[in-house]
Amino acid sequence: MKVSFPYMGCVTGYKKILEMLGHEVIMPQKPTQKTIDLGVKYSPEFICFPFKVMMGTYIEAVQRGAEVIISSGGHGPCRAGLYGEVHEKILKHMGYDVQVIIFDSIFRDFGTFYTHLKKVRNGASLIKLIKDIRFAFQIICRMDEIEKKIKILRAYELNRGDFNRAWVEIQKLYDKCWTQQDLEKASKIAHQMINDIPIRKVKDDERIRVGIVGEIYVIMESSVNMNIEQNLNNMGVEVENVQYISDWVKHNTRGFFGSSKAEQMIGKARRFVKMNCGGHDMENIGWMVDFKERGFDAVIHLMPFGCLPELITQSAIPTISKELKLPILSLSLDEQMGTANNQTRIEAFIDLVRNLKSAPKTEVKEIEDEVWNAKLLKQELAG
Amino acid sequence: MKIYIGIDVGSVSTNVVAMNQNYNVIFKEYIRTNGQPLDSVKKGLKMLEKNLDHSFDSVVGVGTTGSGRQLAGIMVGADIVKNEITAHASATIQFHPDVRTIFEIGGQDSKIIIIKDKMVVDFSMNTVCAAGTGSFLDHQAERLGVPIQEFGDLALTAKKDVRIAGRCTVFAESDMIAKQQYGFSKAEIIKGLCDALVRNYINNLGRGKNLEPPFIFQGGVAANKGIKAAFEKEIGHEVIIPQHYNVMGAIGAAILAREYIEKTGQKTKFRGFGAADFDFSPTSIECGACANSCEVIKVDLNGKTVAMWGDKCGKWTNSLVG
Ligand code: SF4
Ligand code: SF4
Repeated sequence: MKVSFPYMGCVTGYKKILEMLGHEVIMPQKPTQKTIDLGVKYSPEFICFPFKVMMGTYIEAVQRGAEVIISSGGHGPCRAGLYGEVHEKILKHMGYDVQVIIFDSIFRDFGTFYTHLKKVRNGASLIKLIKDIRFAFQIICRMDEIEKKIKILRAYELNRGDFNRAWVEIQKLYDKCWTQQDLEKASKIAHQMINDIPIRKVKDDERIRVGIVGEIYVIMESSVNMNIEQNLNNMGVEVENVQYISDWVKHNTRGFFGSSKAEQMIGKARRFVKMNCGGHDMENIGWMVDFKERGFDAVIHLMPFGCLPELITQSAIPTISKELKLPILSLSLDEQMGTANNQTRIEAFIDLVRNLKSAPKTEVKEIEDEVWNAKLLKQELAG
Repeated sequence: MKIYIGIDVGSVSTNVVAMNQNYNVIFKEYIRTNGQPLDSVKKGLKMLEKNLDHSFDSVVGVGTTGSGRQLAGIMVGADIVKNEITAHASATIQFHPDVRTIFEIGGQDSKIIIIKDKMVVDFSMNTVCAAGTGSFLDHQAERLGVPIQEFGDLALTAKKDVRIAGRCTVFAESDMIAKQQYGFSKAEIIKGLCDALVRNYINNLGRGKNLEPPFIFQGGVAANKGIKAAFEKEIGHEVIIPQHYNVMGAIGAAILAREYIEKTGQKTKFRGFGAADFDFSPTSIECGACANSCEVIKVDLNGKTVAMWGDKCGKWTNSLVG
């Protein structure tokens, strides 16, 4: 089968597992403006931005010969749960004979998961499948580890582009891994490559660390988030992103690989919101608390324009920011976004964070402006 | 006399100021951008040179801000290129050190900046909807056949209040027509529009923020007395309009340039007033080397490439040395 999948962050791991099962992989291309235009054209107008970009990615993959697209489903009241079905419908409607297979959480609906698994398994034994998955998962974890390191160190790179060039090479290295030995060797070389890159030395109290939270697709895929991590790194800011494929896999297969980080995060969020609204809203609020606890200087929250779960996160941000004394910037992204304005917001935000950090620490007393809020509410109700 | 130059290139206007060592603004000019940011900057510089007529010794620092900050910065040889929010705040803090809340309404966007101890602690910026910006007023003034300069004064003469739905430009427009048919006077409608703009602005940008006095109101729209009055009514407090309300961004850029020069002890990178005659041509090329197909902006100065950006991989940015 010629198989493809959505492009979301680093895709080497996905590719690996499908190849190991003997499929021919049509590598999805990193979304470009063309991809987005294509997706927008064939998607319902009011569907979420990630849906549109994935739509474009699938169309491009199908045009290059993909017969099957493997994707993840979502759950809860938000639209993510319908992505696969609607994508398939649209593709069929366009005249492409293609199947979209959705892998939902193993534990929620094992029956469906198993049927899907059989299709993808390509006749391989279950043992081989489990072995392959485990191996691919290991690759993903190793690569995530390196990527995390890059997003910190790249803030201090002396020759612009060094880390990105290394990362391209590192991806190739991992792509060539077929055995545990290969993997160990690749990891060693990769870490060496990263460590060898010359960087600027900074004092500990001058480091600015920013955490990124938000809707999974827009925070993972740099082509739809104005390459925000690189952008921040260029300003000399360290970045940590909460979503990595490895975390995502762990969350959806909990029990398989140990307990899920997401669950801990939801626990931390309880003091601000009572229930989850479908996406990663509670988890994201939990992450904000977690970043604060780990001494981060600020958080940037990214959401697709109109994303329901993340709107909930967004509306909680002023309270969270005030209570945690943590600057939080929320940005909405979609196909119509003016990057210039978001760029201005990001730059101003980083100025703010730097100034706060270098300012002498004085406790300022907060004056709750109940009257003000009550007035605002009254106006909102009045339209 | 040593001077600092600040340039604010926005989509509606390009502002150029010169500031002396005592933070006095000795020259300011507000030029319509008309889609030609570089030409407006050149024009602004020429006017500055002519106006000051060698009454100063040297330009010791230059800063740019606004949506066209990057390109303008390269053209003039700016020492610092800063976003509008930081620039606006720097200027306000200089002239009103106790400021807590800045309302800024320009032609295309509007902002609220919250300050504490002379530091920006929060901000928000509206860009999606035109209903909270100067163009909304321009447009409505045109509809009503009232010159925008008289708009504010007329609003002040209104005897009655009329509520106009201000959530969005389209609604405001149809509501305005309806209210006109009910027999409200022009002055009342205009006052209603000012109230709607302010209400809309505060609802959108002030959400979840503690707005505390002193309030400073700046940007091109601050000239409008009707809006100022609407603000004062809305928040129940006096609103201060700074002397140079319409060029605060440019002043901020000049101040930041000064801070930068003083901190680093560097010499300015200003290309001189001759920059206005340079052959300066930005072009965009589509790189086809990978599927990203980046639109790369390439800037040539007198035939030599001086800057490139817009590439996702750094291939072009890195190809320039120095
Ligand atoms: S998480 Fe947000 S963007 Fe994703 S499907 Fe749900 S509503 Fe849409
Ligand atoms: S500039 Fe770099 S990322 Fe962009 S299209 Fe060219 S090679 Fe690709």
